[in-house]
Parts: sequence; structure tokens; C-alpha cells
Amino acid sequence: MPNRRPIRGTEVKKNTEFGAPSPLALFVDRVQAVVVDAFLLAFGGLMVELLVLAFSGRRGATGLLLTAEKILDLLHYGWMAAVAVVLALIWNAAHVPLGTSPGRAMVFGLTEEEKDLPWSQTTVGWFVAILIQLTFFTGWLITELDLMDFLTKFSKAADILRGLMHPQASILHQGSVLLVQTIFLAFMATAFAIPVAFVLSFPSARNLTRGTFIARTAYIVARTLMNFVRAVEPLVWALIFISWVGIGPFAGVLALWVHSVAALTKLYSEQIESIDNGPMDAIMATGASTLQVLRYGVVPQVIPPFLSFTIYRWDINVRMSTIIGFVGGGGIGYILKPRVDLGEWGEVGTLVLLIAATVWVMDIVSAKIRERIV
Amino acid sequence: MTGGTAAAVEVRDLGMVYPGGIRALESVSFEVKEGEFLAVLGLSGSGKSTLLRCINRLLDPTEGTVHIFGEEVTALRGSALRRLRCRIAMIFQQFNLVKRQTVLTNVLSGALGRSRLLPSLMVSFPQAERERAVAALERVGLPGRADSRADALSGGQQQRVAVARALMQEPQLILADEPVASLDPALRHSVMRHIESLNREEGLTVLCSLHDIDLVTRYATRLIALRDGQLVWQGSPSNFDQKTFKEIYGQDAEPASNSGY
Repeated sequence: MPNRRPIRGTEVKKNTEFGAPSPLALFVDRVQAVVVDAFLLAFGGLMVELLVLAFSGRRGATGLLLTAEKILDLLHYGWMAAVAVVLALIWNAAHVPLGTSPGRAMVFGLTEEEKDLPWSQTTVGWFVAILIQLTFFTGWLITELDLMDFLTKFSKAADILRGLMHPQASILHQGSVLLVQTIFLAFMATAFAIPVAFVLSFPSARNLTRGTFIARTAYIVARTLMNFVRAVEPLVWALIFISWVGIGPFAGVLALWVHSVAALTKLYSEQIESIDNGPMDAIMATGASTLQVLRYGVVPQVIPPFLSFTIYRWDINVRMSTIIGFVGGGGIGYILKPRVDLGEWGEVGTLVLLIAATVWVMDIVSAKIRERIV
Repeated sequence: MTGGTAAAVEVRDLGMVYPGGIRALESVSFEVKEGEFLAVLGLSGSGKSTLLRCINRLLDPTEGTVHIFGEEVTALRGSALRRLRCRIAMIFQQFNLVKRQTVLTNVLSGALGRSRLLPSLMVSFPQAERERAVAALERVGLPGRADSRADALSGGQQQRVAVARALMQEPQLILADEPVASLDPALRHSVMRHIESLNREEGLTVLCSLHDIDLVTRYATRLIALRDGQLVWQGSPSNFDQKTFKEIYGQDAEPASNSGY
């Protein structure tokens, strides 16, 4: 249990004599500042190079203007990184005449004089402003935004929209049956995820895992595992489970279950991290054991938000199971995909309406339930 | 153990440096005799909370020792530490009740240290403990509120539930960290009187941080004062005068009648 954690609201006074950081800590802080600066400078430098290449009118081997991907290929990443490191070192060494760098500002804070100035009179203010501008222009180029296409080529999409507006009843029966399967699929995935996520959320909460070496290890293991699971899209999990247990709703349940465990663990553990430590301290002070402290000091505080997150998760799972169905994970998505591929927009319209109605009802119900319990 | 002559609490050269280098206590030494009501004075930030939390080891002091009834507690770990905590009840400024549980469950949680693990995790307690909890609630003047949710009670009532929880623990020592600082001045005596009765009638030793001079002179049998983490004064309430007050709180401080400094 966390014995050494500084306690909120207690009377602790900063004492400069003892508050001076060690040389090692100072060195680590300085390295951190330089690394942040180097990263930002390299990022900015690369964006400038990208914009210069894009507007230089240079043409590739085919005689066409360079595409964004081609330009990204041409950038001098290594050189930029090297130059950025040198510039970052110079900036950090000469931060007095040049003004505090962003990395330095992040690690050590702004100097007293700079704190009172508006952003437009500090170096770091200008640097950040220019970086934001560059990011915006670069983003525009890389994602190939084209206003003309957007405004002039609507007619093709109009066919689809027209189909969607004329839903066909032929598929209503089959769609409704599979919709029921979808809702249960989402329900089972959520229900199985609750106990696993509940247990995993305690070792994943920072405030409960500061005490012993075992607790810290459990934290790192749980966090790493959950981040990995969450990083893999449910769609990929669905493909894995389809080859494991075969095409059908069971594969969909497993895919959504795995993803829900990871997502709920994260939400649950964040909730645990934000609890009031007071009751925990009080229960600990009565001589209660670790499990009793969790049961009395933590659990009563987190149950209502846990319920709320869980219902929300069910809601998300209903929507996600449509996509899972696309690849063979059961539910309504299973019959939606071929109709999209064949361009039968009327039938697609029916299915989309069914899904929309379900999501709408789930949204109202989950909002009502969450209102009650929070 | 040296029998009846041992001090209830003996603090020797206690020092506490928080991780990050902030020093909260520096070589604090004092003794509390069994049955005393010791008030701990000092400004916010002088180390009062840290001191109390080092005694029941909610915090681990970095220097010095604490003996409770002759037993050194500074090095205790695991179940030995929990057995020690069973004997020491703590009352907090913010009450620290479990808000979403009933008043009765909150009081019963004082008995967790001596309860069997599995039933306690199901919030199931023996009939004898439940009767004891009801009696504790009656004693602090809250009969009939056992089934209310803790957060449905007023601040003064919540703190009395916390006193009942402390009583439930059947402790030898009570640590009270600013027990009335977040209560309406008019309600302060209602809580202090219950703590006083535990001291007078049950003979429990009380360590109580306070910053209201009126309360100190009325309830305490002895005082210690902290300033910047150091013990700067100790004595009896009758020796506490204007000059001492200024020494502890600084030259600019004025004693106020019913609030702080």
C-alpha cells in the first residue's frame, strides 16, 4: 500500500535548504529540455522543407508534380535531426539572450520576466505560434485537401444518398433478426469484460501501486498488456478470432470482449486514480488489510462511475459490432457488407435505419440509467 | 514494556523528508503520558498532520523513533503494523467517511482490523459488532441514523460518525488531525466534547492538532507547538500566554476568538 505518498492538503512547506535538486536530477532535467527542443526543431524543420518542396514546382520522374507521399519520402530526416540537436543545444546553452526555449519552459518554467509578457513578446510564444501554423499548412498538403473536389463532384454520392432515402422492406425481416443478434453480441462481450476489467483496473491504477516492488511491477505489466491490446483494432481481433473459432457471432463476441476489457480497464483505473484518498487513509488507519482497504476505501467510490462506463461501453459495442460483422463476426454487419459491395443502396438504407434506431434508443436508455446512478 | 510507567507515546528525534526533498519535521522529541489530552499547535504547514501520520505510520518517518506503550513502531511492517494501527484510532479534518455507504457500515469499518477477512469483504459483521456499532452511534448522539447514507448527514454529524468509528476500534490512543477545523464554529464543541469524554471517561490518550486557542485551553491538558517542522514550545495550557502565542504564530498574529489564528 502507498505509505510514502505525499498527502493532499497536508501542511508541507517548501524548504529551499532541503529542496535543492541533486546534480543528477538537474542533469536529467536538462537532457529532457534539450530532447524536447530537438524534437520540436526537427519537426518544424521538416515541415518547412516539405512546404518548400511542395511549392518549388519540382517534378518527379513521370513529369508530374510531386505527390505528398513522394515529398515525405524525399525529406532529409537524418540531417534535420542532427541540425535540430545542435540548434537545441545552442538554444539551451544561450537561453538568456535568445529567450527560454519550449523544452526549457516545459521542464524548468519560464523566467520571471518572460512570465509576465504576452506570448507575442516571448521567443517561445512565437516559436509555438509558427509551429502551429506550419502544422496546419503541412496537414493540408499531406491529407490532400481539395475544396474544388468537395464542392463540384457531389453527383456521384447523390445516387447513394437517394438509395438510402428509399429503404426497401425486402430485407427488413432478416435485418431485424440479425439486429437482435448484434445487441446480444454486444451485451455478452460487455458482460464478460466487466469482471476481467474490474480485477485488472486495480493493478493498473498508479495511486494504488506505489508501495512495494511487486505492486510497481504489476502496474507496469498490466499497463503494457492493456496498451498493447487496445492498440490492436477490434477489426484485427475479429480476424484473429474468426480463424480461431470460425466465422459467426462468437468470434465477434470474443473480439469485442478483448477490446472492451482493455478499454474498460483504462477507464476504470483512471477513475480509481481520481478517488478521494481520505476514506482510504481512514480505513488504512483502522488497521484494515490491503483487500479491506480496497473494499471499503476504494470500491464504494468507484462503483457508480464504473456502471456508467460499462453501459456506455455496451452502447459502443453495439455500434462496433456492425463493423465486426463486415469481416464475418456475426450480427447485422454480416449482411450489410455484401449489399454495400453490390451497390444495393435501398437495402443498405434499411439496414442503416435499423442500426440508427437502435443506437438512438440505446443512447437514450444509457443516458437515463447513467443519470440515475451518478 | 516497563508497566505503568511507560509513556503512551514517546517520540524521539523524529524527522520527515518527503520524496522530492521537502522537509516537514526536524528532530521532534516529546512524550505523552497515558490519559493525557495533548494538543498540537502550529500554523498550517508547520508539520502537525505529518507528525500525527508518522505516529500511526500512514507516513513513514525518515529519521528518529516512535514508541507506543513501550513498543517501537517505526520499524513495523505488514501484519505487525496493522495490529498497531488497530490500537490507534484516527479522526480527520475532512471526516473521511465512505460517503456512499451507510452510517452503520462506516462505524463498523472501525472493527475491520479484528474481523475475519472474507465476511468483512462481503460487508457482513457478527451480531455483537453490530450492537457495539449501534451503541457507539447512540453514544455520539446519533441514534436512529444507522441506515442513512453517510453523505446525507451534516458536517458535524459526519464527524461524530467518525468519532463513533474511532470508538468502535476500542483504541488505546486517539489521533485527531484538526477534527473541528472544517466545522461551523457553533458545532465545534459538540464534536470536541465527545473526544473529551473518550479521554476523561475511558482514559484514552488523545493527540489532537488544533489551531483554535479557545479550544486548546478548554480541552487540552498539555500543549506542544510546532513551527517549520520543529518543536518550539511545550507546557500546560495555564502557561500559555500572549508572548508564547507570538513565538509560535509570528509577531503579526492576533488570537481570534473562534477561528484560527
